[in-house]
Amino acid sequence: MEVINTLMETVMSNQVSIPLIEPMLDLLPEIPMLQYMVAFMLWKPLFAILICPGLTVGGITLLFFPWIERKLCGRAQWRVGPHEIVWWLGGVIQILADTLRFLFQEVIVHKDAHRPYFLQFPFLSFMIFLLPLLFIPAGTIVAIQTPYAIQIILALVCLFPLFILGLGWASNSRFAYIGTVREAFVYFAYEIPFIIAAIAMIILYGTSDPLLMASRQSIPGIILNPIAALVFFIGAAMATSRMPFEIAESDQELCAGPHVEYSGIAFGLIYVLCYEKAYILSALMTILFLGGGSGPAIAGLGDLSGVFWFVVKTYLVLTTLFMLRTVYPRYRLDQGLKLGWSPMLCLALIGLAISLVVVAVRVI
Amino acid sequence: MKSMKKVVGPEYNLGEKIKTNVYAVGVAMQESVYPHTATVFYPRERKKMPDNFRGFILFDPDKCISCFNCSFVCPANAIRMKEAPNKRYYPTVDYGRCIFCHFCIDSCSGGALKATKIHDVAYKDMDEMFTPTEEMIELPEIIREDKKYVEYEIEEDDLHLKRTKGEDYLFVDVPPPIQIPMVSQCIDRASCIGCRVCEEMCESGAISSSAENGMLRMKIDTDKCTGCGLCVKECSMQILKLERK
Repeated sequence: MEVINTLMETVMSNQVSIPLIEPMLDLLPEIPMLQYMVAFMLWKPLFAILICPGLTVGGITLLFFPWIERKLCGRAQWRVGPHEIVWWLGGVIQILADTLRFLFQEVIVHKDAHRPYFLQFPFLSFMIFLLPLLFIPAGTIVAIQTPYAIQIILALVCLFPLFILGLGWASNSRFAYIGTVREAFVYFAYEIPFIIAAIAMIILYGTSDPLLMASRQSIPGIILNPIAALVFFIGAAMATSRMPFEIAESDQELCAGPHVEYSGIAFGLIYVLCYEKAYILSALMTILFLGGGSGPAIAGLGDLSGVFWFVVKTYLVLTTLFMLRTVYPRYRLDQGLKLGWSPMLCLALIGLAISLVVVAVRVI
Repeated sequence: MKSMKKVVGPEYNLGEKIKTNVYAVGVAMQESVYPHTATVFYPRERKKMPDNFRGFILFDPDKCISCFNCSFVCPANAIRMKEAPNKRYYPTVDYGRCIFCHFCIDSCSGGALKATKIHDVAYKDMDEMFTPTEEMIELPEIIREDKKYVEYEIEEDDLHLKRTKGEDYLFVDVPPPIQIPMVSQCIDRASCIGCRVCEEMCESGAISSSAENGMLRMKIDTDKCTGCGLCVKECSMQILKLERK
């Protein structure tokens, strides 16, 4: 009993407070077991994993953002995008339908593929891509609070291309091979400016704890250091290998690059990988440059108001990231590398210098 | 050796680059909020085709004079003449071959062939695409799901869709072509070898032959002659000619 009591104390001491549903929570003690379950659900670390920024919001993002992206691009290009599935709602459940199709499709493993790795990598990489969500706070809700969260997120983000390389290697096909090599090239081109831009912001705030960062952004980071924000944004666009930087997966030459050999649910997982990546990177951008979950408090929501602002800002960044593909044509490999190694690196260093100047001014 | 001229792209300075980028992003934003979608949702609405659209070909046997012009002119060899129960020859169209040039309609001297705006007839296989005369007389069966029709309007380099409620008419009632009555005539009677090909060819029985004093004498009845010109094409001595009545 004592164990349960101490456990409940730790759980109750770190609850998500939502004034709006408090009257409902007061009724709960009359129902056995349910109060423990609700208490666990509203325990901040579990809430972060299960609801925001974890499973629920992440799932909604993966389910609806491909649709939103296709719809927006379609509208900008005078098309309609997905339409025929539930056409009176504009094809909202298109991705759900695609997922169902992928689930029932056979996963073909071709003769030359390295069978164990070929089947493992999509699932493994899906797991790894979810890990940074543990360290990303939505408002004040975070699963694991550490003063080195940004560094850990960056390290995990830098792991992503490794798994893409693994996919390409296990496929053992020429298109996958070329795509993999391109991915590796682009990886080196964007990763250094990307990390320097993040470091510039860490220097600017003097901390790498996301919660402290949010509290120190009375002026959002994008105004304090717009150059670092620009570099970070372009880096995020290159990291997600979406349309303007779709160098590794270029449809015209390489079919689908590293994941040309995949089919069925394995392909489905890979298809949402880049959306997952984009979600994490835009969440990181929100923390670093847009003040995380800070915003005018909404009455009655309590801790959820931070969650609300975090989600709104993240989705705004995500939409901007997706809108890039309607405006810019695809970069060639050499152009992408040139962009990464010269202008972006220079801009990142300038951003670092700006951060140092701001910190120096603040000290003086 | 003369140095080659290298083609280079236009040079922009930084200000112009920023300006063009901002303009492009602005257009994308504007289009995603108020899109100029150019898509026609086909089964539920139809694009309004112009009246002279080249679509499915209709046939009116009463006006046909069996002149074979349509089948002669067809560049894709899609039109074959088939003998009908009333011993006349009527066209049949193989839509597997037809290229919808509508030369047949232009060349039809009696105005028996007519163009429609139907462009969405479905066939199960290639054999079914061969359309006999009976199926060309009436409009094919169409299930109309369209509630509106769409017209494209171009204003200041921008394309707009104008949607109007109601069904677009698919059959255009074109006035019949101005007919010049022609008649077949023999221009060199002395050269006739009496092969009687023209008599066999004539659909309307206007050419008759009679033996007089051991000589074969051909006669063309100008009232019966429809001016189809078949005898002119087939005459082995090439002494027949179409002339205005």
